[in-house]
Amino acid sequence: RSPQVRSAFVPRRGAPGEVWEAADAAAVPVLLPTEGCWNPSPSREDILYRSSPCRKLRVGKSGATLDFARQLGHFFVDHPEDAFGSMGRLLHKNFHLGDSKLKVTVSRSSTIRMTALMEDINRLEARRGCPRRHLASRLRWFSNLCRDWLFEVPLGLLADCLHEELMQQWSNLLFDDSFTGGALAWLPSEDRTPVGRLVYPGGQAMNCLYFQDVVLEELPHAQGSPEQFELNGRIRQVSSARVNGQDFVGVRSDYHCGVWKVPGKTGAVPTPLQVVRTDMPASCLTVSPHLPGELSVCTQSGTVYLWSVETGLQQLRHDPQTMFFRDYSPWRWSDFTAHPRVLSYADRTGLQCLDARAPKRCHFDLFKVGEEAGCQQGERVVLPMYLGRAHPSQYLVTTQFSVYVLDERLPLVPVLNWAHMMKAPPLFAHLMPGKRGRSHKVLLGASCTQELLLLQYWDGFGVVSSGGSQSACQLAGTPQKLHNISGCLQYLPPQLPHRHHLLQQRLTAPAAGLTATVQEDGPHNSMLIFQLSEAGDVFCQRLNHKTAQPPASPLRDEATTAPGSSPLFEAPASSPQGLGTAALQYRHWLRALSRACREPPRHTWRPSLSQRRLFTQRDLEGPAGLSSLQRQVRQQLCQTMQEGGRIQRWEPLALQPPPLPQTLEPAGGPDPLSARLTAAWAGDWEQWWEERTSFSMAQRQRALRERRRRQKRAQGHRSLSASFTSSVTYQSELSELSDVGTSLLSPSRPPILSQEGSPPAGSHPVCSLPVSPTPDEALLSSQSLCCRGIPKERRKTLRDYLSVWTEGPPEPSEPLGSQASQLCIPSSQSQLSSASQPCRKRPRMGF
Amino acid sequence: SSNEHKLNFKKSKEACLSYIQDALLQQQWKRAAEFLTCYIESLEKDYSREHIGPSEMIWRIGTEILWHHSQSSMKEFNCFMEQMKTLGVKRYLKVCLEHVFHLLCNGQIDEAYQNLSLAESWRFGEQTAIQDKEMKLIQAYRGLLDYCSWSKQKNKLFEHGEGGFSDSAVEREMHGYFRKAAVNLKEIIKVPGVWDIFVKCYVDLLEFYGDHNEACQVLNEYAYNSRFPANPNAHVYLYQFLKRQGESKKSLISALKILHDIVPSHELMIDFNTMLQKSKKRKKRRLGLEVIFAALDYAGWKENAKAWSCLARQVKQIVISEKHLEWIKQEWNSRKDWWPAFHFSRYLAKRNWQEDKSLSYEKALVAGILLGKDGKYFKYVSHQGCKAQLKRFRLLKKFVNRHNPVYLRISG
Repeated sequence: RSPQVRSAFVPRRGAPGEVWEAADAAAVPVLLPTEGCWNPSPSREDILYRSSPCRKLRVGKSGATLDFARQLGHFFVDHPEDAFGSMGRLLHKNFHLGDSKLKVTVSRSSTIRMTALMEDINRLEARRGCPRRHLASRLRWFSNLCRDWLFEVPLGLLADCLHEELMQQWSNLLFDDSFTGGALAWLPSEDRTPVGRLVYPGGQAMNCLYFQDVVLEELPHAQGSPEQFELNGRIRQVSSARVNGQDFVGVRSDYHCGVWKVPGKTGAVPTPLQVVRTDMPASCLTVSPHLPGELSVCTQSGTVYLWSVETGLQQLRHDPQTMFFRDYSPWRWSDFTAHPRVLSYADRTGLQCLDARAPKRCHFDLFKVGEEAGCQQGERVVLPMYLGRAHPSQYLVTTQFSVYVLDERLPLVPVLNWAHMMKAPPLFAHLMPGKRGRSHKVLLGASCTQELLLLQYWDGFGVVSSGGSQSACQLAGTPQKLHNISGCLQYLPPQLPHRHHLLQQRLTAPAAGLTATVQEDGPHNSMLIFQLSEAGDVFCQRLNHKTAQPPASPLRDEATTAPGSSPLFEAPASSPQGLGTAALQYRHWLRALSRACREPPRHTWRPSLSQRRLFTQRDLEGPAGLSSLQRQVRQQLCQTMQEGGRIQRWEPLALQPPPLPQTLEPAGGPDPLSARLTAAWAGDWEQWWEERTSFSMAQRQRALRERRRRQKRAQGHRSLSASFTSSVTYQSELSELSDVGTSLLSPSRPPILSQEGSPPAGSHPVCSLPVSPTPDEALLSSQSLCCRGIPKERRKTLRDYLSVWTEGPPEPSEPLGSQASQLCIPSSQSQLSSASQPCRKRPRMGF
Repeated sequence: SSNEHKLNFKKSKEACLSYIQDALLQQQWKRAAEFLTCYIESLEKDYSREHIGPSEMIWRIGTEILWHHSQSSMKEFNCFMEQMKTLGVKRYLKVCLEHVFHLLCNGQIDEAYQNLSLAESWRFGEQTAIQDKEMKLIQAYRGLLDYCSWSKQKNKLFEHGEGGFSDSAVEREMHGYFRKAAVNLKEIIKVPGVWDIFVKCYVDLLEFYGDHNEACQVLNEYAYNSRFPANPNAHVYLYQFLKRQGESKKSLISALKILHDIVPSHELMIDFNTMLQKSKKRKKRRLGLEVIFAALDYAGWKENAKAWSCLARQVKQIVISEKHLEWIKQEWNSRKDWWPAFHFSRYLAKRNWQEDKSLSYEKALVAGILLGKDGKYFKYVSHQGCKAQLKRFRLLKKFVNRHNPVYLRISG
């Protein structure tokens, strides 16, 4: 009898488990993103920092809106009666509504003509979007006078509420338990077809409940359009259970809980059964796996109800205090047990079982955070779950450190205890019972880190002795980390930086739910795991069951996909079809995402400017000698402003077409490319452009004269390299040139004028190179290049370029008739040599 | 500054730990081992005041890696364990125990025994309460191993005994093991806790040497001492012991009664029910009905054909005798609002009929009496049974129809 049982020692853990391997390198989106952009919940930075650099980092509208002033503004507009009601009635006499002038009466001095105020406001409205707006003085005066007393929300109270809200947001940031349980459910079909139904929240406020038929093929995909129910609040939890062939789906939002019935047949329409409203936010809703239409509800005030669709709510317990020791958290949880009339009741300190028939008298402790269960200090219950589908009397309790399996027949002493090492507490759990002597699988999921963990365990026929053979409850295999949603980011094709940022923000959104299903297809077993994110995305991954234990090869050990490679988008030979579909799915998803989240036009109204103030009369008249082009442009500007349009590009016709380079360049002169490059490196490319496109003949002639004068001074042929040395003459020339340049700038700038983005005219850096008499070789040293302000990445190009030039003989001296393009290459060989000479001079002593 | 240094050090330590964790969870033991060698540096400046310090981390992670690493050997494991023992004095006994478990799981019983003996002789400073408990555990495990040796010797002796001669040397050795095992096992049982295996071994020893009083006392103590956690196994062991001893029905029933109070869903409840049904006392039969009803409340019993047949038999008896119908009525009162949906839905009728005909027969009988001949479950099953021309089911239909008034009395 007993000796045989004990002849073998079996470890509690490390028993061989099943091998499940991920089919793809990352999770794949199941559903396309819905219309409307997702608003991320506030981050720490939103609450803590208000400095501008931080806000600038957050791209566009993707950040959360915590602008209190704006929100209060919305409140004033949306609820004027609450905000100003009685004060408005009191002040009624002092506001004059109507267009007529005020009659001279006694009340004149104490009455405001509202029409004028409204006009000002309207004008303000019209000028929104104008960066140069300023408040009308009358409005400022009015608001200074009234803002302290006009609205009736007491400031102290408002401040208190705001403070409370911020505290709440902050504690939610640290640990948000409102999503405990997860808002994703999978309803398998009754008749073993590879079709099931996914229940998930969606919509911008996550307040729509969707029932979507999903076909499980190589990759699951949606079939038909989903059944949709719009609810009254954000969906926090979706739980489901199958009783007597029918699925019951419980949906929890903060103040409402609802239950739906879904017949097991495919294509059957879900019907809403009942809704209850709670005064305090509900923290838990679980569906009974035993009886149809029974649920348990917990609220944050510490009340547990057994909710039956037929008989209504039955309060089982009300206790705002925690059970075993004091803990501040109002979170409560409840689930069913092996006995349909006995419910478990949990808070952060432990679990109790209550008998619904006599809840006051009949209860026993199931789990207590403390020594007996081997808990650590500060350990708290995070999620309890009834494991009834695996073993009728077993229970899972997760804490932020460990996972416990409990047997309600032997309470308080966990039958299995394992430290899960997850970075965030597991808020979601899903059980997949192993049938016919196979291990049970439990998935654990965390919210903010999106972690997913697969555990396997044997229930060991329970620990309670039945006299026959028995084995202990033990972990099987090693826990396995699964792909999370954000893991796919590294495999996606490269995106533009801001798109990448948006994508990253979307994919790293906290997880909001978890569900899975096992697909048995003859000898091939696979597991499909769905993960929901707060952004409403549902991603899926497939794990394949390896039937034969592979030899423990070190190869398998390290066979990981290197980050950066994108196996999703390359079709390897092993399963070309599947990966192809994954890539396709991704492409669809990305496209739909960019469509759904396209940046909405920032201003729906047209920006309008009053031109009266923009240009004074004197400005408009301008100097006498206006060029025809200037006049033309001005005319166009005026016309566009009258039409209320905007100028994206100046009409090229309006400008004199810039002379073609060929006509500017005499044959045999230094090529325009080198000139342009030189100018670009020196940083005054714009100037060069001016020169090339300068339309004024007089100016061009002046430039030519300059050139001639310079060329007389500078003899010998010039090389490009010389342009990087500098001399006193060069300096002076440059400054001269830049003077010319700035005067030319405004009319002939490359023609882009849009509202944002163009730097103010005249801010071009005037190039002033340091005087450094270095020879050619030294010129190429990175140090010298560096001190000339030439960026690192260009140095190599420059060196290559220069080496080409030094090989061949430089161009012969340029004919006098060369055009303005050469302005930036004024140096010559002689200058170079003279410049290099002083280097060899002995420095004078004493300096 | 040193503070900054500490902070950086802490950060890199955490980063390293998370890499290890990542590797562990992806079963990349080699990678994890490489990171662990880096993590060992964290021992140098251990400023942490966390619950689990780096040395404990290294112990735990290292054990895990060595357990799974494809190239690890027992020798390396032993070496690692020896190092871990010296790493933290407070943890010495715990590491020893872990090491012993590992040896046992690898079948190296003698080495394990040596290790236990070594650990037992270890002393460090003043013994804390935890150390005391751990020491007791170590002794208990040594006792357990002694018991194993004893049991081996015993088997040997019996084999020889069948040959016709007794080996006094083997016998002496066996008694030696017994003494060593008994001393240690006795100690641990005194400490409150769940000591199923130790208790079983100890009782086995005592029974072999005929010390039934002591065995009985030990089992009673284990079952009824309120300082111990409520452990249904304790009652099971007591019941089995009493049964082996051929104790009276009364004491068996009282042992099972307590088990019923603690765990109404225990498998022994079927035995209990049959025992009670056979009883001549009304009260006992009444209790039997209660027991079987209570067992069938549990989800795990839903499809237990044996239990349903027990209930069906008793209900049938009561209905035929027409005595004590109020018993059924009382039991049914607290269940009539949820049993129909829980046990007697049309869906279940269909499924039970498909999967297990005899189960559906027993259930249909109960349903027919409790819910009348128009109940969904009975109607479906009897219809199917008659359609399939099964005699049993035709008789069942007749029986229920005849006793339909009972239903009215029960539900009324």
